[in-house]
Amino acid sequence: MSYREYVIAAYAVFALMLAWDYLAPRFAIARQLRAARRLAARKAAHPTPNKRPTELGR
Amino acid sequence: MSDMNPVIRWFHQLGSPPYFDRFAARWAPWGYLLGAVVMAVGMYGALFQVPADYQQGDSFRILYIHVPAAWMSLLVFGLMALYSAIALIWRIKLCEILAMACAPIGAAFTFVTLATGSIWGKPMWGTWWDWDPRLTSQLVLLFLYLGVIGLYHAIDDRRTAARAAGLLALVGVVMLPIIRYSVVWWNSLHQGQTIRVFGESSMDASMMPPLVWMLVGTKLWFAGSLLARARADNLQREAGKDWVRRMAEAGK
Repeated sequence: MSYREYVIAAYAVFALMLAWDYLAPRFAIARQLRAARRLAARKAAHPTPNKRPTELGR
Repeated sequence: MSDMNPVIRWFHQLGSPPYFDRFAARWAPWGYLLGAVVMAVGMYGALFQVPADYQQGDSFRILYIHVPAAWMSLLVFGLMALYSAIALIWRIKLCEILAMACAPIGAAFTFVTLATGSIWGKPMWGTWWDWDPRLTSQLVLLFLYLGVIGLYHAIDDRRTAARAAGLLALVGVVMLPIIRYSVVWWNSLHQGQTIRVFGESSMDASMMPPLVWMLVGTKLWFAGSLLARARADNLQREAGKDWVRRMAEAGK
């Protein structure tokens, strides 16, 4: 194959972009769910006296 | 609500954050998977099946990622502007989320376009970069994407941030025809239009199938990525809500 190193470099850039595009949102979702679990644990450890909901349930 | 057309009802339901979360969690992996499979078929054809170009040799195989990435860079920007317009006019939160989820994906495709073009340009043009109208306008598009991303993250309030960034996306639409016709309007080092959706392409028919696979594959991949990124933003905006807590605990 002629210009092999250029072809490999171009496809490597594309593969790296796809890998980042796949992993970045997965990490972001995992981070949000972790934060939600931590918040729930904190609320369970220190329950507020007023249990009335402050907004409409969805 | 019961008399409503099922399609319209579905659109209304999709606007509900928990419903959208379930929808995105279900369909994003399919977008990624189908996109990866279709692109794998395209790349196999691009690297191993089509013959080398009689002038460019094997370096022309780079165009099988360069062209789909370039098309995506324009299409995603157009879609981002459309979602932004809907969000600005009708204040639909989901459209704000989708518009902002487009930005990093479009920026990534624009970066790939520039990088692969540069890698192809070195052996073919003898230089990594030239301040040619097509290359320069594509670089401006990357800066616009980065501007949208930066603006969205610079303002604390998510809704205000999305509106400000959406406005920039709308203004940036002016770049799309400039990029598209830059090779026609100005004397450009970049080659003219080779592949046409309507009309005859100047590329040989035997070289087309992998390109079609790649064009379809990148769109499927984009659908998966858009849903996944929108889901992450939706979760961040809804942090502290009961449904997020329930879902997070269920997924322990």
